[in-house]
Amino acid sequence: MSNTAATLYNPSNLPSNDNINDYSYCVDVRGQMFVRNGKMIAYYGQLRFEALGSVGLAGLINRAFNSASYVSDFIVINGQGKLIVGDNGNNIASYNLENGNLTVKADNLLAFEDTLRCQESVVEGYLTIIGSGLFLASSCGPVMFAVPPICVDEQALLGWADTPCPSYRYDYSYVQSTLSHIGAMVGIGASGEEKQLEFKKIGNDDMVLIQSSESNLRGRDMLEKILAMLPGLDHDDAQAVYSNLYNRIHGQQ
Amino acid sequence: MPQYELVNSKLLKIVLRSEEVYAQKGSMIAYTGQVNFARSYLTGGGIQNIAMRAVTNEGWQMMTAQGSGEVFYAQSGQMVTIVPLKGETMYVESDSVLAFDRRLQTGTMFLGSQGGIRGLVQGAATGQGLFTTTFTGNGELVILSDGPTIALDVNPNNPVFVDPQAYIGHRGNLQPNLHTDVSWKSFLGQTSGESFQLKFTGQGVVYIQASER
Repeated sequence: MSNTAATLYNPSNLPSNDNINDYSYCVDVRGQMFVRNGKMIAYYGQLRFEALGSVGLAGLINRAFNSASYVSDFIVINGQGKLIVGDNGNNIASYNLENGNLTVKADNLLAFEDTLRCQESVVEGYLTIIGSGLFLASSCGPVMFAVPPICVDEQALLGWADTPCPSYRYDYSYVQSTLSHIGAMVGIGASGEEKQLEFKKIGNDDMVLIQSSESNLRGRDMLEKILAMLPGLDHDDAQAVYSNLYNRIHGQQ
Repeated sequence: MPQYELVNSKLLKIVLRSEEVYAQKGSMIAYTGQVNFARSYLTGGGIQNIAMRAVTNEGWQMMTAQGSGEVFYAQSGQMVTIVPLKGETMYVESDSVLAFDRRLQTGTMFLGSQGGIRGLVQGAATGQGLFTTTFTGNGELVILSDGPTIALDVNPNNPVFVDPQAYIGHRGNLQPNLHTDVSWKSFLGQTSGESFQLKFTGQGVVYIQASER
């Protein structure tokens, strides 16, 4: 009968800061933590959700969220409870930092405790997490950990620990070829085989995180974001959106 | 009674001994023995049910498999969960149902009648039909989910809050209510399942999936 009975979870047997399966994770919330908008799928307990713009959060944001570009991507969860996080079927992994730093692709950062500080990396589109505590990141496929020196395709790169800033490395024959000159003129980029991020080995704890796929995360494109917003509209707002779209579709014929 | 078994997380086997099962149309992938297949529209329910199904699109088409043998079912790579019902009622959208047999009675439920105006808002919030399909009785109901199903126990001491987009269905004696976080206005203009939550109180089980629809 084991195959008929899916585990029945309650607050006491849900994993404590661990994965429920590859695509969902249960966080023990005690206090405050930052979670990406819309990624809460269920919770037990007393939890409150606040936007980063709320009054009363200024001190916390000043201390822990030093990243203006991504303020609207995260909310603050407050209270005590079991929080289940899911991200459109992307894989979820957790990382425990002890007085360390780890840089991850901004889109992939899912949640982090308020004991950590989040700052924008000098590499655009990446956030650096500094301090001690737990954070979650989603990835397209499981994460592979690699030790530098290593060259990584930009799309497959999830992040890196400790290693000083990576640099771009072009394949030598690609640089030599006329293709690159034409590409530069017409704006065609190089593929992962021709252009990679190169990591040098500097310290002993250097680590590079690579996702098992070059595809983007599910659920991050504009259309999906818009569709996710629709349930929040009241009748009048929905009507306004409808007539706007109607005019746009039929007015252009 | 038909025997339900998972071959793997995405493949269901049903063993029939001169018996009959209902399954989502197009989901049969193989069978052995002497089994006949026929279209079926309704399983139980009166004329009111027929009208409701027509109005609500909850009138999904099924295939019956009748005879003796093994029938294998899978649907679009979705994960399969067997839910054993013990006299309870399970509420689930019809397109999440893979298979069941006549030990379960089906019905169509107008969610609005359960929670008044709140039920209506709930339908608007989930973006799913106000009508949902119910299954009652003693027997197995096989459901589909995008990724593994997570079953959450609810009792009077432990209500659960669920993102409407992650919700698949629920069983038992539960009251679903739309729960709006006090500070939800601060979310306007942003994507957030957090601003609308379904709060389930009572005694029963709520099923969710990690992948929001």
